[in-house]
Amino acid sequence: MIKKLYPKLAFTSMRKNKKLYLPYILTCIGMVMMFYIVAFLYDCSWVQEVRGGALLRTILSLGRGVIGVFSLIFLFYTSAFLSRRRKMEFGLYNILGMDKGNIARVLFWETVMTGGISLAAGLAAGILLSKFAELGLLNLLHRPVTYALTVPLDVVALTAALFALIDLLIFLNTLRQLRITNTIDLLHSEHAGEKPPKANWLVALLGVAALGWAYYTALSIDNPISAFVMFFLAVLMVIVGTYLLFVAGSVAICKILQKNKRYYYNPRHFVFVSSMSYRMKRNGAGLASICILSTMVLVMFSATTCLYVGEEDIIRNRYPRNSTMTLEMKDLASMGAEQAAELKNLAAKAAAESQAEPENILEYRAAGIAGFLTDAYVETDVSAVSGVSLSDYSQVYQIYIMSLEEYNRLTGEKEALSPGETLLCTTESGYDQDTIRVGDAKELVITKVIPKFCFEGMDAQVFPTIVICVPDFAEYVTPLLESDGEDAAALMWYYAFDLEGDDPTHMEITNRIKASLQTLKEDGEAVADFQCGCGAESRSSLYTMNGGLFFLAILLGTVFLAATVIIIYYKQISEGFEDQSRFGIMQKVGMTRKDIRKNINSQMLTVFFLPILAAGLHLVFAFPFLYKILLMFGMNNRPLLVLATAISFGVFALFYSLVYRITSNAYYDIVSNS
Amino acid sequence: MSILEVNGLKKIYTTRFGGAKVEALKNVSFSVEEGEYVAIMGESGSGKTTLLNILAALDKPTGGVVSLDGRELSKIKDSEISAFRRDHLGFVFQDFNLLDTFSLEDNIYLPLVLAGKGYREMRDRLTPIAAQLGIADILKKYPYEVSGGQKQRAAVARALITNPRLILADEPTGALDSKATDELLYLFGEINRSGQTILMVTHSVKAASHAGRVLFIKDGEVFHQIYRGNSANQEMYQKISDTLTVLTTGEGRNEGEARF
Repeated sequence: MIKKLYPKLAFTSMRKNKKLYLPYILTCIGMVMMFYIVAFLYDCSWVQEVRGGALLRTILSLGRGVIGVFSLIFLFYTSAFLSRRRKMEFGLYNILGMDKGNIARVLFWETVMTGGISLAAGLAAGILLSKFAELGLLNLLHRPVTYALTVPLDVVALTAALFALIDLLIFLNTLRQLRITNTIDLLHSEHAGEKPPKANWLVALLGVAALGWAYYTALSIDNPISAFVMFFLAVLMVIVGTYLLFVAGSVAICKILQKNKRYYYNPRHFVFVSSMSYRMKRNGAGLASICILSTMVLVMFSATTCLYVGEEDIIRNRYPRNSTMTLEMKDLASMGAEQAAELKNLAAKAAAESQAEPENILEYRAAGIAGFLTDAYVETDVSAVSGVSLSDYSQVYQIYIMSLEEYNRLTGEKEALSPGETLLCTTESGYDQDTIRVGDAKELVITKVIPKFCFEGMDAQVFPTIVICVPDFAEYVTPLLESDGEDAAALMWYYAFDLEGDDPTHMEITNRIKASLQTLKEDGEAVADFQCGCGAESRSSLYTMNGGLFFLAILLGTVFLAATVIIIYYKQISEGFEDQSRFGIMQKVGMTRKDIRKNINSQMLTVFFLPILAAGLHLVFAFPFLYKILLMFGMNNRPLLVLATAISFGVFALFYSLVYRITSNAYYDIVSNS
Repeated sequence: MSILEVNGLKKIYTTRFGGAKVEALKNVSFSVEEGEYVAIMGESGSGKTTLLNILAALDKPTGGVVSLDGRELSKIKDSEISAFRRDHLGFVFQDFNLLDTFSLEDNIYLPLVLAGKGYREMRDRLTPIAAQLGIADILKKYPYEVSGGQKQRAAVARALITNPRLILADEPTGALDSKATDELLYLFGEINRSGQTILMVTHSVKAASHAGRVLFIKDGEVFHQIYRGNSANQEMYQKISDTLTVLTTGEGRNEGEARF
């Protein structure tokens, strides 16, 4: 008899508090579902078999980990909110004669019920939707679809085990809280007098400093490698800064406004400013979380959309023509026209075998060398610059030397130079010296800085690149070739062309060229080394990677977005309860319903749109960062990134406003109930 | 001239499911003259709070007329009612109803800020009131930092600062200890002597004994009333207790305007 009471009590109290419990159970269901889907995809057999499948699996396992950890944190957060609101009920049980052991039993049944319902429903939804997710992923990867529905039991078991563990931890935590409170506290916990928020100027300033530093770093970094290193530090600083500013900075601003009597004692600002300072003190952390989550969603979305949509751009950047070959020649003699003709013939023959012929040919000869740039000197001796710190990576340059004749031919210009002079082109924002000296070669006077031109992968270089065009190529590079070993310049001959036909044909031809070049290399006369590739070859693995990333962004984006919605909802509900009595008083003192509604509106708008505005600001400052990092993936289409970011933000803002409308109704319901 | 006229007031509540009707007020008529200090007494459930809510225009009567300064409350438009309440009535509540997000000073300013007054004018108005109520030193504190008596005095200051025609007090001593009650009642007397009209609802004999006239409500009707005349608080106290004894032991209703 008494045994049946506990589950019954648990059930009734959940039903009575359905405004609180329903969203919690929905959250649990959503988390279970998402985790199952990602774990399912990770387990799919075809994922392991596709080209680039290993990378795809890594991406998915990363996603699985993120969702697992996030579930733990987030469910803890929401359950803490639940138990805070229910302390009074427990106090009542306690007074009615239930000891803490009995309450613990009620809680246990509650956990079993919420956990059971959400696990069952979540798994059901997950199994149903996993097929859609799989089809979506296949579609993104440009793969043929399959329609068989499988339910791998070990994935089900893994999901069940994880969420049972999370529920257990939450249950234990609630018990711990129950143990350390006494009855009176339980009864009155909602009415503890709240101290007026104090402006913590130091913390607010720290927040400004952290955010300022992160923004400055984001704007000042211009090298992708250091960008990657600084990225994590800057992200951390943005998170810290956002939290500090939302918690302390907002209160400080309210205090400043309160000091201004003329501003403060105005019907429009009076109630608003004073309530805001309390609201921000209580909700600052929640709002900061919303801001960070939104920023993450936005960054992830814009970056992966850009990568996915810009795949062809990326391929074209890496392979300016369908088939490309870069040959490293042994000496200046082998750079002659005779050798070139032989190589061209070799390529043409390989193409002819598949009834194709090279067209839209891009060809040039150059010498390349890497070095460490200080002022106007490039140190090419690696041993001289040992002990370089990571932040100095931005000074490592790739230098290409090209004859003026080649340059004029490539671009159609008619530049003329005398010996000792050069044209200079750089991928970086500017080279502001008047001269340049590379290793042991003679110093050159720069007569003109030329814009970027068609040079292999110039736009998508990870290292900053300088190209110099000299009139006396052979004479100039000789000293650079004479230094020994790895420090020497490499002579290269670049030959690329487009082909008719589809991807397999391109790959056939390229493979034939590869084979012929291999024989040439083994002959050992002219060719020292070679690289040969075609866009078709990397297309499928690129699709797998970018499609996988895009897919993960959609999944995680959905999870974070749902989390944002839940945080907002609980925030609204808890504020509604807190504001209920307050607005009752205001009405008695002579505020009209209209005034009150207007006031609530402006407070809610501020509270709501502050996080998304801050997220927008973060996004603007993250943009240069994002661009640099995408460069490492070979993505250099800036307008596309701008567009992707803008659209992501627009869609997000729209969605956010929708959530605002829906949840604010829940708030009004509670407030107007007084 | 009477400030407040209440004529044949009637209020019937219908329970939510349309069943039984509860008659909270049957037929209440009385008037309050300028400068009067009136207490309304009655037991729980006698209709005191309903009456006060109607007087404060927070609730609408089923029948009868309430007019303040000759204006019928029921004829004031909904959109103006809050402003009317703010400008003509001052409220003191049992549970103070101070906003915990404001300092005492800002709580007192609230009605004036809503009426669009400037800071200088508000401060000039508050200075004498704060001095009279003895709260000048604690104006910067927050409600949670001060005692119940101090909170109630701040609430009185908030009621007075608009120079209302009438102050409505709902069990103002209900949440105070005896010392704070004495202080508050003394202050109410002072305020009344300076010309302020006060209408207080209470079931505390002590509180009522400070008033100039006491109305007794039973079962939704004005059952009886006592004028102070020249009696001291002590005598007034005795008269009220006697009346209450008659009221609760259920003797026949004392018709007319019997004066003691």
